[in-house]
Amino acid sequence: MAETGNLSVPAARRSNGPGLWSNPVTWLRIAIIVGILAIWEATAASGLLYRDVVPSLLAIGRALAKLLSNPEYYWHLSVTAGEVGTGLVIGGLLGLTVGIAFGASKLLGKSFEPYLYYLGPTPKIIFFPIMIMWFGVGPGSKVAMGAISCFFPIALSAAAGMRQIDEVLIRVGRSFRASTSQMVMKIYLPAMRLPVVNGVRLGLGVAIIGTLLAETKLSNRGIGYLIIQAYSLFDMPSMYAMLIVLFIIAIGANALVGRIGRFDAIKQK
Amino acid sequence: MATNAAATTHASNDILVVDDIVKSFNTADGSLTAVDHVSLSVKQGEFMAVIGPSGCGKSTLFNVIGGLVDGYEGNVTVGGERVNGPHPSIGMVFQEESTFPWRTVTDNVAFPLEIAGMDKAQRYERARHFIALVGLDGFENRYPAELSGGMRQRVAIARTLASEPKILLMDEPFGALDEQTRLLLGDKVLQIQHQLKQTCLLITHNITEAVQLADRVLVMTYRPGKVKRIVDINLPRPRSSEIVSSEAFGRYVAQIWSDLREEASRGMRDEEQQRAGAHS
Repeated sequence: MAETGNLSVPAARRSNGPGLWSNPVTWLRIAIIVGILAIWEATAASGLLYRDVVPSLLAIGRALAKLLSNPEYYWHLSVTAGEVGTGLVIGGLLGLTVGIAFGASKLLGKSFEPYLYYLGPTPKIIFFPIMIMWFGVGPGSKVAMGAISCFFPIALSAAAGMRQIDEVLIRVGRSFRASTSQMVMKIYLPAMRLPVVNGVRLGLGVAIIGTLLAETKLSNRGIGYLIIQAYSLFDMPSMYAMLIVLFIIAIGANALVGRIGRFDAIKQK
Repeated sequence: MATNAAATTHASNDILVVDDIVKSFNTADGSLTAVDHVSLSVKQGEFMAVIGPSGCGKSTLFNVIGGLVDGYEGNVTVGGERVNGPHPSIGMVFQEESTFPWRTVTDNVAFPLEIAGMDKAQRYERARHFIALVGLDGFENRYPAELSGGMRQRVAIARTLASEPKILLMDEPFGALDEQTRLLLGDKVLQIQHQLKQTCLLITHNITEAVQLADRVLVMTYRPGKVKRIVDINLPRPRSSEIVSSEAFGRYVAQIWSDLREEASRGMRDEEQQRAGAHS
């Protein structure tokens, strides 16, 4: 009996797995990619646009292979990953703290949350000059951009998550005389895990955007810098190659965070 | 059979003493007294039920005794010690769905032990004991969503019992369940109470439940909530739910209903008037 309980989680997950190749959705998805590649290649071959704007798939493939075999590229990649990661941690912790405070206190929430709502959708790149002045032209200002970007969605979802906590669970915690830190760690955070994971997911996306945008503006390292450099040298194949890698990394990161959320949902439902 | 409430003598074996509680709330149309000079005492090992119509302040009384609200007049003492905030000797079971959906049955039941800082192996062992006590062995690793409403409420009861409270304080714990499940869970509660010699205070609006479980039933008046009467239930123990068909049981139900009827209809009239007032 105890074992069936343990098995039920992976079993529920596995049920999505089989039938992948017999599912028409899979084939449609592949067909879309193949179709886009075919149109791309046809456009490149037709010569309708400048050769360099739409390079042939072969040229992009070659550039991709060159890129992936270049150790320097991985160094730039690690710089960007480090900036995004640090930004996410700083912005995430700040967002979580502010969100919990706004969610817990009606006064704070009512007073300050409108600012979050209005600042949230504002393009954060307008803060970049300020961040350069505060944190310099190095990775510091990029980390700051990532942190500012992800702060808003994480704070807003934490505040909303805090408010949707079932009030009786808080009374249960109090009746067992849980301390404030126990309340936060054992009741508030787990009870608001799903909206928070969602907020982190959104936050990761905008942290990547904020950091890369900052790198393209002013820097001498990182993926954003490499992309804008390839552009200024008009090396289109390697620019596309870098975009492809970036795409795959962003999708992978999103899927990873999403999986944490889904795993949780299965455990609860 | 029926004794008057006003005469409260505090015998030395009273483990819980509620002394002259008054609790008011501020509402839009002035102050509303929810609990009005309520006194009661529960003896060691006794099962007491508090019954009253909706809006009689039963839940307020529950929160006062549980130490979850303050700003009231009067005293609540447990074993002579004044209750000031949640007291370790009082274990609360709530009316609402209160299991933690992200914790397994074992982790739910072990929660109070985890809060108290007990190590994992020890608290799991204790949790397993209380899970077996409520008859949920085999479901240790399940999540609440995989259980029925009745099973989840048993998890909540086991969780509170795991903290080994001197007094088990329950607020309509079976309120959301159907009548048959309610009767059967009543049996379970009696069995556990007998086994642990647990002192219990049950808040309910269900007459059958009160008579089935309690040694004494305290009837409350409609707003403001006062003690109307305390009825001794002299039915043999150990009891089982079959007792509900006995003649003596029926007499107790009829007696309590005659007290309660007046209060409940007063509550109903009051609510109708309020709604009519809201319309004009």
